[in-house]
Amino acid sequence: MDEKNREDWLDQQLRETAPYIDDDGFTARVLQKLPVVRSQRQSLRAVILLGITVLASVLAYVVSDGGRFVSISIERLAMLPMLWLFAVALGCGILVMAGGLIAAISKTKEVQS
Amino acid sequence: MELTDADLIARVLVDDDQHAFGELVRRHQSAVRGLLRQLTRTDLALADDLAQDTFVRAFKHIGSFRGEARFSTWLYRIAYNCFREDARRRKELVGIDEDQLQAEADPQTVDPGLRHDLMHALSFLPLRERSAVLLCCQNGLSHEEAARVLDIPLGTVKTNVLRGREKLKKMLAAWGPD
Repeated sequence: MDEKNREDWLDQQLRETAPYIDDDGFTARVLQKLPVVRSQRQSLRAVILLGITVLASVLAYVVSDGGRFVSISIERLAMLPMLWLFAVALGCGILVMAGGLIAAISKTKEVQS
Repeated sequence: MELTDADLIARVLVDDDQHAFGELVRRHQSAVRGLLRQLTRTDLALADDLAQDTFVRAFKHIGSFRGEARFSTWLYRIAYNCFREDARRRKELVGIDEDQLQAEADPQTVDPGLRHDLMHALSFLPLRERSAVLLCCQNGLSHEEAARVLDIPLGTVKTNVLRGREKLKKMLAAWGPD
Protein backbone atom coordinates (compact mmCIF):
# COMPACT_ATOMS: atom_id res chain seq x y z
CA MET A 1 0.00 0.00 0.00
CA ASP A 2 2.88 2.32 0.90
CA GLU A 3 4.48 1.54 -2.42
CA LYS A 4 1.26 2.41 -4.26
CA ASN A 5 0.89 5.64 -2.26
CA ARG A 6 4.42 6.59 -3.12
CA GLU A 7 3.82 5.97 -6.84
CA ASP A 8 0.64 8.05 -6.78
CA TRP A 9 2.47 10.79 -4.93
CA LEU A 10 5.30 10.74 -7.49
CA ASP A 11 2.86 10.92 -10.43
CA GLN A 12 1.06 13.80 -8.79
CA GLN A 13 4.32 15.67 -8.20
CA LEU A 14 5.35 15.07 -11.80
CA ARG A 15 2.08 16.52 -13.07
CA GLU A 16 2.46 19.51 -10.78
CA THR A 17 6.02 20.16 -11.94
CA ALA A 18 4.61 20.91 -15.37
CA PRO A 19 3.28 24.44 -14.88
CA TYR A 20 1.37 26.24 -17.63
CA ILE A 21 3.81 28.09 -19.88
CA ASP A 22 2.54 31.51 -20.97
CA ASP A 23 2.26 31.97 -24.71
CA ASP A 24 4.30 35.20 -24.57
CA GLY A 25 4.29 35.73 -28.35
CA PHE A 26 5.12 32.11 -29.17
CA THR A 27 1.99 31.54 -31.31
CA ALA A 28 2.66 34.74 -33.27
CA ARG A 29 6.22 33.61 -33.98
CA VAL A 30 4.96 30.22 -35.20
CA LEU A 31 2.35 31.84 -37.47
CA GLN A 32 5.05 34.05 -39.00
CA LYS A 33 7.09 30.96 -39.84
CA LEU A 34 4.22 29.08 -41.53
CA PRO A 35 4.77 28.48 -45.23
CA VAL A 36 2.46 30.13 -47.76
CA VAL A 37 3.25 27.54 -50.40
CA ARG A 38 -0.08 25.73 -50.04
CA SER A 39 -2.28 28.64 -51.09
CA GLN A 40 0.10 29.58 -53.91
CA ARG A 41 -0.09 26.00 -55.14
CA GLN A 42 -3.87 26.11 -54.99
CA SER A 43 -4.09 29.34 -57.00
CA LEU A 44 -1.68 27.88 -59.55
CA ARG A 45 -3.95 24.84 -59.82
CA ALA A 46 -6.96 27.10 -60.35
CA VAL A 47 -5.17 29.03 -63.12
CA ILE A 48 -4.19 25.78 -64.88
CA LEU A 49 -7.74 24.42 -64.67
CA LEU A 50 -9.22 27.69 -65.98
CA GLY A 51 -6.69 27.79 -68.82
CA ILE A 52 -7.47 24.22 -69.87
CA THR A 53 -11.23 24.95 -69.76
CA VAL A 54 -10.87 28.04 -71.97
CA LEU A 55 -8.63 26.16 -74.39
CA ALA A 56 -11.07 23.23 -74.60
CA SER A 57 -14.00 25.60 -75.18
CA VAL A 58 -12.20 27.41 -78.02
CA LEU A 59 -11.21 24.06 -79.54
CA ALA A 60 -14.78 22.75 -79.32
CA TYR A 61 -16.10 25.97 -80.88
CA VAL A 62 -13.68 25.76 -83.83
CA VAL A 63 -14.12 22.02 -84.42
CA SER A 64 -17.92 22.22 -84.25
CA ASP A 65 -18.09 24.77 -87.06
CA GLY A 66 -18.82 27.82 -84.94
CA GLY A 67 -20.90 25.98 -82.39
CA ARG A 68 -23.68 25.10 -84.84
CA PHE A 69 -24.51 21.97 -82.85
CA VAL A 70 -25.57 24.17 -79.94
CA SER A 71 -28.20 26.07 -81.93
CA ILE A 72 -29.39 22.82 -83.56
CA SER A 73 -29.74 21.18 -80.12
CA ILE A 74 -31.65 24.16 -78.74
CA GLU A 75 -34.01 24.09 -81.76
CA ARG A 76 -34.62 20.37 -81.23
CA LEU A 77 -35.18 20.92 -77.52
CA ALA A 78 -37.65 23.73 -78.19
CA MET A 79 -39.64 21.43 -80.46
CA LEU A 80 -40.06 18.79 -77.74
CA PRO A 81 -43.45 18.45 -76.04
CA MET A 82 -43.77 20.23 -72.67
CA LEU A 83 -43.80 16.97 -70.65
CA TRP A 84 -40.55 15.80 -72.27
CA LEU A 85 -38.96 19.19 -71.64
CA PHE A 86 -39.95 18.93 -67.99
CA ALA A 87 -38.51 15.40 -67.75
CA VAL A 88 -35.20 16.50 -69.29
CA ALA A 89 -34.96 19.49 -66.88
CA LEU A 90 -35.77 17.25 -63.93
CA GLY A 91 -33.21 14.64 -65.02
CA CYS A 92 -30.52 17.31 -65.40
CA GLY A 93 -31.38 18.73 -61.95
CA ILE A 94 -31.16 15.30 -60.30
CA LEU A 95 -27.84 14.62 -62.05
CA VAL A 96 -26.30 17.90 -60.84
CA MET A 97 -27.65 17.35 -57.31
CA ALA A 98 -26.22 13.81 -57.19
CA GLY A 99 -22.85 15.08 -58.37
CA GLY A 100 -22.87 17.76 -55.66
CA LEU A 101 -23.84 15.26 -52.99
CA ILE A 102 -21.11 12.78 -53.99
CA ALA A 103 -18.51 15.57 -53.94
CA ALA A 104 -19.71 16.79 -50.53
CA ILE A 105 -19.71 13.28 -49.01
CA SER A 106 -16.23 12.48 -50.28
CA LYS A 107 -14.93 15.82 -48.96
CA THR A 108 -16.52 15.17 -45.55
CA LYS A 109 -14.87 11.73 -45.36
CA GLU A 110 -11.52 13.27 -46.31
CA VAL A 111 -11.84 15.93 -43.58
CA GLN A 112 -12.99 13.42 -40.94
CA SER A 113 -10.05 11.12 -41.65
CA MET B 1 -19.41 27.27 -28.09
CA GLU B 2 -15.72 26.42 -28.16
CA LEU B 3 -14.49 24.63 -31.25
CA THR B 4 -12.93 21.22 -30.75
CA ASP B 5 -9.48 20.33 -32.06
CA ALA B 6 -11.18 18.32 -34.84
CA ASP B 7 -13.21 21.39 -35.93
CA LEU B 8 -10.08 23.52 -36.06
CA ILE B 9 -8.16 20.86 -37.99
CA ALA B 10 -11.02 20.66 -40.50
CA ARG B 11 -10.81 24.44 -41.00
CA VAL B 12 -7.09 24.25 -41.59
CA LEU B 13 -7.56 21.43 -44.10
CA VAL B 14 -10.49 22.88 -46.02
CA ASP B 15 -9.84 26.64 -45.90
CA ASP B 16 -6.10 26.74 -45.15
CA ASP B 17 -7.24 28.79 -42.14
CA GLN B 18 -4.10 29.98 -40.35
CA HIS B 19 -6.16 31.53 -37.53
CA ALA B 20 -7.60 28.10 -36.76
CA PHE B 21 -4.08 26.71 -36.70
CA GLY B 22 -3.08 29.58 -34.42
CA GLU B 23 -5.78 28.50 -31.98
CA LEU B 24 -4.41 24.93 -32.06
CA VAL B 25 -0.93 26.30 -31.31
CA ARG B 26 -2.29 28.39 -28.41
CA ARG B 27 -4.01 25.32 -26.95
CA HIS B 28 -1.05 22.95 -27.15
CA GLN B 29 2.02 25.22 -26.92
CA SER B 30 2.39 24.88 -23.17
CA ALA B 31 2.41 21.07 -23.18
CA VAL B 32 4.72 20.79 -26.20
CA ARG B 33 7.14 23.41 -24.92
CA GLY B 34 7.05 21.85 -21.45
CA LEU B 35 7.91 18.41 -22.82
CA LEU B 36 10.74 19.80 -24.94
CA ARG B 37 12.11 21.82 -22.03
CA GLN B 38 12.35 18.62 -20.01
CA LEU B 39 13.87 16.65 -22.89
CA THR B 40 16.47 19.33 -23.57
CA ARG B 41 17.14 19.59 -19.84
CA THR B 42 15.66 23.06 -19.45
CA ASP B 43 17.53 24.63 -22.37
CA LEU B 44 14.72 27.13 -22.93
CA ALA B 45 15.98 28.64 -26.18
CA LEU B 46 16.60 25.27 -27.81
CA ALA B 47 13.28 23.91 -26.53
CA ASP B 48 11.36 26.86 -28.00
CA ASP B 49 13.17 26.56 -31.34
CA LEU B 50 12.26 22.88 -31.46
CA ALA B 51 8.66 23.68 -30.45
CA GLN B 52 8.42 26.17 -33.33
CA ASP B 53 9.76 23.53 -35.74
CA THR B 54 7.24 21.08 -34.32
CA PHE B 55 4.26 23.31 -35.07
CA VAL B 56 5.54 24.35 -38.51
CA ARG B 57 6.02 20.68 -39.36
CA ALA B 58 2.56 19.88 -38.01
CA PHE B 59 1.05 22.56 -40.25
CA LYS B 60 2.85 21.24 -43.32
CA HIS B 61 1.75 17.66 -42.68
CA ILE B 62 -1.64 18.21 -41.07
CA GLY B 63 -3.21 16.38 -44.01
CA SER B 64 -1.57 13.19 -42.79
CA PHE B 65 -3.22 13.41 -39.35
CA ARG B 66 -5.71 10.53 -39.45
CA GLY B 67 -7.47 11.22 -36.17
CA GLU B 68 -6.65 7.73 -34.85
CA ALA B 69 -4.84 9.28 -31.89
CA ARG B 70 -5.41 12.53 -30.02
CA PHE B 71 -4.01 15.62 -31.74
CA SER B 72 -1.76 16.22 -28.72
CA THR B 73 -0.29 12.70 -29.07
CA TRP B 74 0.43 13.39 -32.74
CA LEU B 75 2.13 16.67 -31.75
CA TYR B 76 4.22 14.94 -29.07
CA ARG B 77 5.43 12.50 -31.68
CA ILE B 78 6.51 15.29 -34.02
CA ALA B 79 8.13 17.12 -31.07
CA TYR B 80 10.02 14.00 -30.04
CA ASN B 81 11.21 13.45 -33.63
CA CYS B 82 12.38 17.08 -33.85
CA PHE B 83 14.26 16.65 -30.58
CA ARG B 84 15.83 13.36 -31.70
CA GLU B 85 16.92 14.75 -35.06
CA ASP B 86 18.43 17.79 -33.36
CA ALA B 87 20.16 15.61 -30.77
CA ARG B 88 21.57 13.44 -33.54
CA ARG B 89 22.82 16.52 -35.30
CA ARG B 90 24.51 17.64 -32.12
CA LYS B 91 25.74 14.11 -31.43
CA GLU B 92 24.34 14.32 -27.94
CA LEU B 93 21.90 11.46 -28.00
CA VAL B 94 23.20 8.62 -25.83
CA GLY B 95 26.54 8.28 -24.10
CA ILE B 96 28.10 11.70 -24.40
CA ASP B 97 25.35 13.50 -22.55
CA GLU B 98 25.56 11.19 -19.53
CA ASP B 99 29.04 12.47 -18.70
CA GLN B 100 27.90 16.01 -19.25
CA LEU B 101 25.08 15.40 -16.82
CA GLN B 102 27.37 14.19 -14.08
CA ALA B 103 29.44 17.31 -14.55
CA GLU B 104 26.32 19.44 -14.16
CA ALA B 105 25.51 17.84 -10.82
CA ASP B 106 26.97 20.42 -8.52
CA PRO B 107 25.62 19.77 -5.03
CA GLN B 108 26.03 23.43 -4.08
CA THR B 109 23.45 24.51 -6.64
CA VAL B 110 20.80 22.08 -5.42
CA ASP B 111 17.71 23.90 -4.25
CA PRO B 112 16.00 22.44 -1.19
CA GLY B 113 12.58 22.68 -2.88
CA LEU B 114 10.87 19.49 -4.00
CA ARG B 115 10.11 20.88 -7.43
CA HIS B 116 13.74 21.64 -8.06
CA ASP B 117 14.81 18.24 -6.78
CA LEU B 118 12.30 16.50 -8.98
CA MET B 119 13.42 18.41 -12.07
CA HIS B 120 16.99 17.65 -11.18
CA ALA B 121 16.23 13.96 -10.62
CA LEU B 122 14.41 13.81 -13.96
CA SER B 123 17.40 15.22 -15.78
CA PHE B 124 19.50 12.38 -14.40
CA LEU B 125 17.38 9.70 -16.04
CA PRO B 126 18.61 8.29 -19.35
CA LEU B 127 16.73 9.76 -22.32
CA ARG B 128 14.63 6.64 -22.97
CA GLU B 129 13.39 6.49 -19.36
CA ARG B 130 12.96 10.26 -19.07
CA SER B 131 10.86 10.42 -22.26
CA ALA B 132 8.65 7.52 -21.14
CA VAL B 133 8.14 8.95 -17.63
CA LEU B 134 7.43 12.46 -18.97
CA LEU B 135 4.87 11.24 -21.49
CA CYS B 136 3.07 8.72 -19.25
CA CYS B 137 3.32 10.21 -15.76
CA GLN B 138 3.49 13.92 -16.49
CA ASN B 139 1.48 14.33 -19.70
CA GLY B 140 -1.01 11.57 -18.97
CA LEU B 141 -0.50 9.47 -22.11
CA SER B 142 -1.34 5.78 -21.98
CA HIS B 143 1.49 3.30 -22.50
CA GLU B 144 0.12 2.57 -25.99
CA GLU B 145 0.11 6.26 -26.91
CA ALA B 146 3.64 6.72 -25.56
CA ALA B 147 4.80 3.71 -27.60
CA ARG B 148 3.39 5.38 -30.71
CA VAL B 149 5.06 8.70 -29.89
CA LEU B 150 8.44 7.17 -29.12
CA ASP B 151 8.15 4.58 -31.90
CA ILE B 152 9.21 1.71 -29.63
CA PRO B 153 7.43 -1.49 -28.53
CA LEU B 154 4.78 -1.30 -25.80
CA GLY B 155 6.76 -3.59 -23.47
CA THR B 156 9.80 -1.32 -23.72
CA VAL B 157 7.71 1.69 -22.73
CA LYS B 158 6.35 -0.15 -19.69
CA THR B 159 9.86 -1.21 -18.65
CA ASN B 160 11.23 2.30 -19.11
CA VAL B 161 8.42 3.85 -17.07
CA LEU B 162 8.94 1.30 -14.31
CA ARG B 163 12.71 1.80 -14.21
CA GLY B 164 12.42 5.57 -14.42
CA ARG B 165 9.90 5.65 -11.60
CA GLU B 166 12.07 3.43 -9.42
CA LYS B 167 15.09 5.67 -9.94
CA LEU B 168 13.05 8.80 -9.20
CA LYS B 169 11.70 7.24 -6.03
CA LYS B 170 15.24 6.42 -4.88
CA MET B 171 16.54 9.88 -5.76
CA LEU B 172 13.64 11.52 -3.94
CA ALA B 173 13.74 9.24 -0.93
CA ALA B 174 13.96 12.21 1.40
CA TRP B 175 10.61 13.45 0.14
CA GLY B 176 7.36 11.59 0.16
CA PRO B 177 3.77 11.40 1.32
CA ASP B 178 3.30 12.07 5.01
